[in-house]
Order: sequence, then structure tokens, then C-alpha cells
Amino acid sequence: MGSAEKKQRKKKPNLKKRKNSQLSETDENLITVKEDNEQNKPSGKKKIKREKGNSFDVRDVQDNSNKAAKEKKRNKSKKKLRREEKSNATPIDEVGEHGDDADNSNENLVAGASQVKKEIENPGRPVGKSKKARKKKKKDRGSLMKDEELEENTRDADEDDVYMISSGDEHCSKGMKKWVTEYHQSRPGLKVLQQRIDEFITAHEAKLEQERKEREARAAEGGWTVVVHHKGRKKTTDAESGIAVGSVAQAAVEDKMAKKKKKDVGLDFYRFQRREAKRNEIMLLQSKFEQDRKRIQQLRAARKFKPY
Amino acid sequence: MDADTTVTLTDPMDFKVEELLKEVHFARTPAITKLVDDTVSAIRKSISKIPDAFPVTADLAPGFVRDIGADKVEFKFNKPKTFKIGGSYSINCVVKPAVNVDLFVGLPKECFHEKDYLNHRYHAKRCLYLCVIKKHLKSSPSFDKVEWSAMQNEARKPVLVVYPAVKSVEAPGFFVRIIPTAASLFNIAKLNLKRNNVRAFNQDGIPRATPKYNSSILEDMFLEDNAEYVEKTISRWKELGEALILLKVWARQRSSIYVHDCLNGYLISILLSYLVSLDKINNSMKALQILRVVLDFIATSKLWNRGLYFPPKGQIGVSKEEKLQYKEAFPVVICDPSAQVNLAFRMTSVGFCELQDEAASTLQCMDKCGDGGFEETFLTKIDFPAKYDYCVRLNLRGHTEVHALGFCLDDECWRLYEQKVHSLLNQGLVDRAKSIRVTWRNSPSEWNIENGLAVLDREPLLVGISVSSLEKLFRIVDIGPNAEKKEEALRFRKFWGEKAELRRFKDGTIAESTVWESEQWTRHLILKGIIEYVLLRHLSLSKENVVQIVDQLDFSLLHGAKDLVSFSASLLEAFEVLSKRLHLIEDIPLKISSVQPLDSAFRFTSVFPPEPHPLANERHTVSRLHKLTPSCIQPLEVMIQLEGSGNWPMDHVAIEKTKSAFLIKIGESLQNRWGMTCSATEDDADIFMSGYAFRLKILHERGLSLVKSENGNKAKRVYSTDKMLFIRGQHASMINGLQGRYPVFGPVVRVAKRWAASHLFSACLVEEAVELLVAYLFLKPLPFNVPCSRVTGFLRFLRLLAEYDWTFSALVIDINNDFGPEDFKLINDNFVSSRKASEENVQNVNPALFLATAYDKASEAWTTCSPNFTELKRLVAYARSSANLLTKLILEDQTDSCRWECLFRTPLNNYDAVVLLHRQRLPYPRRLLFPSEVNRGRHVARVNASKAFGPFLVPEEMKGSSEEVKNKMMVDFDPLRCFVGDVEKEYSNKLKLWYDSLGGDAIGLTWERVGSKKREREEAPEEETDSIGVLKAVGELGKGFVRDIYFLKAPRLMS
Repeated sequence: MGSAEKKQRKKKPNLKKRKNSQLSETDENLITVKEDNEQNKPSGKKKIKREKGNSFDVRDVQDNSNKAAKEKKRNKSKKKLRREEKSNATPIDEVGEHGDDADNSNENLVAGASQVKKEIENPGRPVGKSKKARKKKKKDRGSLMKDEELEENTRDADEDDVYMISSGDEHCSKGMKKWVTEYHQSRPGLKVLQQRIDEFITAHEAKLEQERKEREARAAEGGWTVVVHHKGRKKTTDAESGIAVGSVAQAAVEDKMAKKKKKDVGLDFYRFQRREAKRNEIMLLQSKFEQDRKRIQQLRAARKFKPY
Repeated sequence: MDADTTVTLTDPMDFKVEELLKEVHFARTPAITKLVDDTVSAIRKSISKIPDAFPVTADLAPGFVRDIGADKVEFKFNKPKTFKIGGSYSINCVVKPAVNVDLFVGLPKECFHEKDYLNHRYHAKRCLYLCVIKKHLKSSPSFDKVEWSAMQNEARKPVLVVYPAVKSVEAPGFFVRIIPTAASLFNIAKLNLKRNNVRAFNQDGIPRATPKYNSSILEDMFLEDNAEYVEKTISRWKELGEALILLKVWARQRSSIYVHDCLNGYLISILLSYLVSLDKINNSMKALQILRVVLDFIATSKLWNRGLYFPPKGQIGVSKEEKLQYKEAFPVVICDPSAQVNLAFRMTSVGFCELQDEAASTLQCMDKCGDGGFEETFLTKIDFPAKYDYCVRLNLRGHTEVHALGFCLDDECWRLYEQKVHSLLNQGLVDRAKSIRVTWRNSPSEWNIENGLAVLDREPLLVGISVSSLEKLFRIVDIGPNAEKKEEALRFRKFWGEKAELRRFKDGTIAESTVWESEQWTRHLILKGIIEYVLLRHLSLSKENVVQIVDQLDFSLLHGAKDLVSFSASLLEAFEVLSKRLHLIEDIPLKISSVQPLDSAFRFTSVFPPEPHPLANERHTVSRLHKLTPSCIQPLEVMIQLEGSGNWPMDHVAIEKTKSAFLIKIGESLQNRWGMTCSATEDDADIFMSGYAFRLKILHERGLSLVKSENGNKAKRVYSTDKMLFIRGQHASMINGLQGRYPVFGPVVRVAKRWAASHLFSACLVEEAVELLVAYLFLKPLPFNVPCSRVTGFLRFLRLLAEYDWTFSALVIDINNDFGPEDFKLINDNFVSSRKASEENVQNVNPALFLATAYDKASEAWTTCSPNFTELKRLVAYARSSANLLTKLILEDQTDSCRWECLFRTPLNNYDAVVLLHRQRLPYPRRLLFPSEVNRGRHVARVNASKAFGPFLVPEEMKGSSEEVKNKMMVDFDPLRCFVGDVEKEYSNKLKLWYDSLGGDAIGLTWERVGSKKREREEAPEEETDSIGVLKAVGELGKGFVRDIYFLKAPRLMS
């Protein structure tokens, strides 16, 4: 934790710069975060409450909460210190930059601050938190908000190489702006779409016509084409009007086919057929047996016999 | 090698049983024998050191003596009369993992008076005797620890559990139980069932018979004899012992019957001996056959009605009057060989019914399930959470009402309380419940018997309820007795209190009744309400001590404070109207012949069915828009078919274009005639109506046959649009039918989908696959019943995913139960060939999750590409840990009340990098379950939020003409999908994305393993900077949407 904290401190100057240049953007972010915390509507509260169970590991969470409880006690005494820190944030930064070998008290200061941050994130944490504490926090919220801001900023400014990326709203080559633009472009209205499709179809038909002509031309040139025998039904549509003449549903065809089959000689008509059927059956049994055997080996490999 | 030859000779089932026996049988190896012998002799040595005539008073365990109400308990210690190893070890039938040895210690007659059978004096002395032994064993270095336990959960009969200091690898957790026996201590006649031996147990001064108390003493008196009898019988031939082991494995998997008021290992061995004595079992039977005989006897025998008595040996057997006495005193009678004691005196009628049910259902499994029901019989855990639809926990810690009348009279107070709860629920739920099971375990792990019995209420009392049918479950009015029947009506009023109402019903009768008003989507809570009302009214409990499980997962489906499924009715209505209007369209060249819903919202299986959007109506007034009008609307796909025509073009692109042309025409027609708005792209057409957006798709039948000819080669099967549409149509109607049959199916699917999505598996497991997996639970419920609550269904879904043998078996979902042997063979052939294709490389198994259905026997529709082998492994691991957590949450009290949420909260540290999104840029921010934060790793990039998009329309956007405002509403706009698409296009060979398409704000990234040698030579730091670069680029791709990117782990190299 210590090293991360150190890194956080280093980043201060950068932060200032950013604040100036992109004030509007970041501020908006902060406000939304704040709103999340401040709004006392039930859904918001619930959300934050849920945040608690951090992971699947039971011990992990309990550890955290214990720590939180302990640290909270320490916090009280540190609150004053922290306020001081807040009032002159820059000097501490310098300390952080110069004294790399983690001055202990300083370390604690920041740890305290991060603790507050944690509390803000999880205001509903019931473990080791009495009502009184919660009330108190409400009172302190004003100052805490500032703390949070500070913390948020230190966090933002994590390391020197946190890469800042703009919202991308100014041009639409990448990201949200691009997707929104693409969305709107894809819906030009029915008229335009209709037109596009018409154009495509005309072009497509022209292409087909072209191909047909070429083929004919080739045939006319004295070349020859292979004549293919067309099996099956005659055309079911009138070529001119496109009206179905004798269209048959797929189901009907299948039905017909099924009926046809019955006319075939029964599968057990000849003796050799019966013999074969029997042999097949035995083969099937054998193969099934083999399968079972294989399966058992697999089961054994998977140790699938353990009932507990 | 030997085993291999036997494999070819024996039946696979026999082989499996053999393997199972090898697995669970705790064989007496020389090392084990030595361990047991050493421990037992050490115990004997310690005990022998106790000085004779050592005076014992109640001071050793004052609390215990006080609580059971014994007087005159002083005695002088004498060494035990006998030491004898009994129980399962003596017959070589110890079943792992509970490895223990029973040591019978014969209580010496000198310590007892003739009349000590009275008023719990025997029990008190028995306990004090053990206290003395315990004290001495504790001082001995050969024992690690000595603890208290209770015999069959009977607190007045404690036993000592001794753990030897020497540990054995072969027998982890091995312990010896010291069980006192009382052979011929008392006159048997004094312990007759009709006699009262606890003076405090009386009604208005008239003493009442104490059959349970008497049996409790008698049991000890005949313990050794019976053990000897069992030993003699079981050791007659090998198969009996094996059958006993199988029976134990069977029973232990079923926690509802392997408890104090039903079955235990001792009773099983007695039952087996009984059947041998009746010659129902002979020595030519195999173990499995014996098991079947026993189960069949339990399930169907008529002998239970008159009680089980061993055939008399020479002398006259049990007389009729005696039998009648037994029958009157106990619901179930299994008399011991000496015919003096009913060994089943703890068994309740409810417990016995449960036992019969389980035996019958196991027999059914053996007949109906694949592999002879081996898995269902022996390997599937049938515990409370998975078996019962509704589970309730009562926290009774410190609840003095339980023992207000004294801890132990004839029966113990906890057992009486169990019965009380059971009868209350039985009366309250009437025919809604098929069975109700109440059990309360009373042996805390660290029990200080000296302090008495008040601490035995630590563990919660557990109630399990099986629902009889959903109609009954969802019934709103319970009709009670007719008002004219005064007495009954009075009783009804007394039971229900203010809830009872006098009502006139349609048929003119006037009757007492209770009404449980409830909305459609909260019907599953009716039963919860009844349980709560009844328990709170009749037991002095506070609300938070009645923990109900059934609604604990509902939060995952809520949108704000509401479950959106409540809009389904209006959605279906809208669809009906749309369908009618589509059929009425005249001004297009081909008429519409059929309209079919595709989206899961139509079949109640969508996690978030759409909520009517104010802008998607035919007419709307801008002024009525409320503040939080969503800017996005989710389209619902509807498939339509046109009448046949020969004029369709032949090639694929042209077909699609023609379809679009048709859709535009349809849209225009609807717009002109009904004023419905249509918005279209080149591929889709969305129709707005009654607050919903319907996306029309045309299925062109010719397209189906086209595919077959085009994609003849099996290697690469990518379905064409038409084929996919066709399959989706089949799936939709199939699932819709199933939902009609099982109304709980929908909620279970929704929870399951939510689970998969919130663990970022949206890309791995498609919606339809989840639906099929859950469908399987409903179609093949054995060894359970069809699930009737979402929690139970969800738990079984997780266990199916975690435990099914995906590598070697296909999952066959036979919706209409009409698959014949050919179908199964075809499916199996498909499965085998799919596995063979990837035999060399297990990692390339395709599809890893083989789901065969009537419309898709080769599992090509949903799981061909995903999940792949590694994804499935991850999925299985998550399912397993979630299943375990869920089981724990149902059974045990959690000090932290927020644990339920953990089921849906995924640990983000399992990824190599994490991308967090701007919550206020998600299209549906209210669907977010938990806001994610990352506290570890390296913060790589931070991106500002875009102003181009927000989830809600801002006031400025709502001004203008209705046309303009309508255009602000975005159909099917999903930045997450766009982002994922962009990243995958760019980095599909480097990165894998794990995301939650239902509305999570975190995306997990893992590095694709690249095994090229070139990369191996590169140095690790370089690798890291390289990956950081990639992550930054990913951030660039997600400008305005992505918030932060964290780097956790560098790519691992494959050697």
C-alpha cells in the first residue's frame, strides 16, 4: 500500500495543470460522483450498500471490515491532522517527492485520507459502525466532500504516466461520438433507404442482364454451351407476373415423400435383410458396450466416484 | 491390469458400484488397525487409572443435571464393566469421509440404584460418568482433544468424541466415540411403554406415559446385544456389508432423511438385518440388488403399518397387545431382535414419509435415468436448498419459549418445538405444500455440557417446503369452513386472527376465508407472507428471526423498485395488435402469412423486458414527458413470413436487399394507415407502437435450402441469416411452450442469465444456451421434483453447470419427451464425431458445451464458438463457487447481511486488465447492480466522459416537433457493443474481452496466449510496456465511454 500512496502524492503538479485546462470535464465527473453519494434516494443507497461484499472470498471481506473498524478509531485522532494537510496540500507533496523513504507519520496521513475515501464509497457498511458514527458522518459530509475531492484528485493523478484521454467529442474518429454519429447516419429515413435499395436492385438487374447477354453472345458466336437436364417439377411461377402458379408448401412435399417411402419393399422382406438387421443390432450392442467401457475409463480418470 | 479384464466381463453398473465402494470404503489396513487399537488401548489405560470409589457429585456438570431435572445423582465411580468396539467399524463398513470408531463402555451396576430409571437420574449419572472419563482423558498426552457430542441429536444422551494425538494420513479427522451402555442395569418391566417414569410429566396431576424416555434408556440397555446381532448378520456374507455401505452413501446424500428423526447408520444396519431374517435377501444377490430390495421394502412394504418385528427365535414372539401398544406410542416401529425396544422411537411420521418418498424416487431414477441412475442415486447431493422450493430459517438463539416447560420430559423440548412449527405451517399452508420438513440440529461444535442445555439453540431451525402445485401456490383466497359450522369457524378465526374474513362466494356459500392480495409478479411471495404471518402470530418471534430465502435473489431482477416483467401483459397485447395489423396490410406485393415473436421478452425469459417508452407511441404529446425519459429503446425482434413467390432473386445479397425493400414498404403502409412510426436502417426496420419498438425480420424459406448447397462442407458451418432466423423461431416457440407448462421457468432463467452476465460471461454464454440449460432442469428433474421456486431452480442450474460431465457427455434437451432411440443415437454420433475431431488437442473441443435439441441435434446453433474449452472451465469454476456460496447462504446465518449480493458481484482481480466505464454513459444505468471500483494494479489511463450521449433525454432535447423528438430516441444503441466490436476488430489476437451486456460498468480483459518463439525472446519489461501501449489504444477506441483502465497482470508466455 505504501508505495502506491507515494506514487499518488507525486502527481500533484500534474493535477493542477489538468484542472486548469480541462476544468469543465473533470468537474462534471466529480459532480456525478458526488451526486451518487449525496442523493439519499433508496436505490442509490442500496447500490452502495451492495458494494460491500467485495469479492467471493469471505475472509477477504471480513478482513477488510475489521481493518476498517480499527482504522476508523485511529481516524478520529487523525482527523485534525488531515485537515491541516488539506489546507496546505502542496507542501506535503513536496515532502512526498523529496523524502522517498516514506516518513511514517506522513504515510499515516495519507492512509487516513484514503480511509475516508473508503468510507465515502461505502457509507452503508454496517460492520462495526454504529448509528452515531453514521450521523456524525452526515455532519462531516461537507468537509468530507472536500476531502474526497482531494483524494479523488490524488487518485486521478496516480502516477506520472497515467494517460489522459479526452472525451473525443471534438472529432468523430473514435469512441462515443463516432458511434452516435454512425447511428444517426444509418437512419437516413425511409425515402432515402428506398432509393438506395432501388438503385441497388437496378444495378443488380443490369448486372444480371449483362451476364445473360454475354452468355448469349458467346453462344451466338458459335461457341457451345452444355445443356443441363433439369430434373423435377416445372416452374411454379409465371415468369411475367411473378404469381405463384402451383407453389407447394415444403411440408406437403415432405409428406408426399414420406408416403412414397412406404411403397418400398419392407426392410425385413428378404432373409438376408433380417440377418443383417440382427447382425447390426449385435454390432450396435457391442459398440454400446465399448462406449460404456470407454466411459468408465473416463469416469475413472475424472474420479467421478466420489460422493463427497 | 486385472481390473481391465474384469471391465470387459462385468456390467458397467456393477463396475461403477465396485469403484464407488473402493472409493468410500474405509478399509482396515494394518496401519489403520494399529491406529484404532492404539487409541482404544490408550483410552482404556487412561480410564483404568481413575481411582475406584471416587465420589462423583452433580458439581461436575451442574448445568446439565439442573436442566434435565434429575435428583439424587451422587455415586461412587467404578471402572467400566466392559470395553467393546461396536458400530460400523466392527462390521468393517465404515464409510468415508466420516471416519470414526464406536467404543461401547459398559456402565458398572455398582454406580446405579435400582430406581435410577426414574426422573432422568440414569441420564444424569451417565453424563457425570462421562465427565469423569473426560477429565482423565484430557490430561493424557495421547489425545489431541476430547469433545462432547450427542447421540442422535438427543441432548440428554451425550457421548464423548476423542481425537487421538497421532494423526494418520489415511484417516484424516479420525476419532473415537465413547458410548456408554447400560446392559441389564434396570428391570425391563419398569420401563414399559405405558409407565410414567418422569414424575414431572403429568396432566392435572395425572401422570402420563413416557414412552420416549423409557425407550431412551432401553436403547442403552440393549445397545451391545443389538450391535452383536447386527455384526453376526452382516458378516455372514460380503455383499451384505457392501449393500450397507451403499445404503449409507445413498442416505448421506439426502440430508432430509439422514437426520435424528429419521434414518441413521445404526437403523440402516438393523433394517438390513431384519430383511435378512425375513429371508428377503439371499446370498446370491449382489450389493446393488440388495440395495434395491431394501429401497423397495422401504417404499412399498405394508409391513410398516403394523411395525417391524424380528421373527421370534423359539419362544413366543411379541403379543398382539404389545404390538398395539407400540403402534399407539410411536408412528414407526422397528423392534429390536430381543423385542424389548422400538429402535425407531425417534422417527416421526413426517420423517418416515420423506424416507418413503426418497426411496421411491430413487427406484424411479434407477429405472428411468441414464447409466442406471448411478449418479442420481449415489453422487447427487440432495440437501435442503436443492430439494425444497421454500426454505425458512428460524433463529431461536436465546428464545426461552422453547424450553418454557422444561428441557426434557418425555421428549426433548427441541423436538416438541419442531413438531409445533410443523403443525403450525401445516395448518397455515393447507394444500399449498406437498411436504413440510422441520429439523433443528442441536449439537454445537464446542459444547460445554457443564453449562447445561440452554446453549443448544445456537443453530437455526430449518424448514423446507415442497410446493404441491403452482396453481395452489399462487392462489389468492383460501376458503375456510362454512360459517354455519360454528365450532370449526371459531377454530379458524382463532388460528388466523384478524386475517380471517367472512366472505360470500360465487356459489352462494358464506365461509370464513383468508385473502392474500398480491400482484402478478409477486405471486411467489404469497407463501412467504403466509409463513411469516402464521409464525409471528403463534410463536413469539420477531420478524428478523424468521429468515425466508425465497425472495433473496429478487433484487437482481429489479429495475428501480419494480420487476419489469409486470409490463409483459401490455407487451403481449401490443404484439397481438401488431400481428393483426400486419396481416391486414394489402398494399404490398406479397401478403404476410405469419408473424412470430423471437425476443425473449415475449416468453418471459428476458432479464429486463422493455418498459413502455413515452416516445414510442403512435401519438404522443411532448409535454407529458417526464424527467427521466430514457434516450434509448430496446427493440423486440419479430419474425414474419411472406406468402410464396418465385420472383425472389437467387443470390444472397439481393435477397437481403429485397427483404429490406419489403420491410420499408410494410413500415410505410403501417405509417400511413395507423400512424405508427417506422425507423429503418439498411438491415433493420423498427416499428414503434404502444411504447415498444418491434424489429421486423423476414424469413425467406428459399434461403434455408440455399444454405445447404452453399455450405456443404462441414468444416465451417456459419448459418445464414435465414437459417439463423429459422432456428431462433424454433427455439422461441419451444421455450414459449415450456414456459407455459412451468411458470417458474421464466424467473429461474432470468436469474441465471443475470448471474452469467454479471460475472462477465455475456460473450461466452448466449441467452438461448442459458434457456436450454434451465429447460433441462425442468425436463429431467430426477432425483428432485420439478423446481417450484427461483432460488431452488437457480441453485440447481449452478450445480448442473458445475457438475455435469461436459467433456464426455452431451446434454440432451428433449422438450416434448419424444426422442426415440434413433434420435439419441444420432445425437450421440454427432457428439462423438465432434469430440473426435478435436481428440489430439483437448483445448480445441468444439463445441465444449454440447446442447442437443429437437431442432439442433448437432449443437450447432448456440454453442459452436463459445464457450470454448477455457471459457467453459472458467464458467464451471464460477458456477461451483457460486453454488457453494448459495448453499451456505441458505443453510447458515451470515453475520453480514449483504452476502446475497456476492452471488452477482464478480471479483475483478481475476482479469489481466480492467476497463471501467462511465456509469452515466451506459444506456440503461439503472440496470447496473454494483458500481465497480478497482483498488489495485496500475492505473493506465483515464478518459473523460463524452457529451454526445446520455442515458436520459435532457430538457432541451425534448423541445421541438414530435418528429424531431422521436428521432432523439435511439433504437438499439449500445455503446458497449460498439466498443467491444471496435476493440475486437483491432486486437482480437491480443485481447479477450469479458463483459456484461445487461448493463455492467466493468469490462475484464485477458491477454490471449501467444506462443510464438519470437515473443519469448523479448524481455519482460518490454512486454509490459507493450501491453500498456495496447491498453492505452483501447482507451482511445472507447473515448468518451471508458472511464479508467487498470493494468493488473502482464501476459503470460507459453512455453
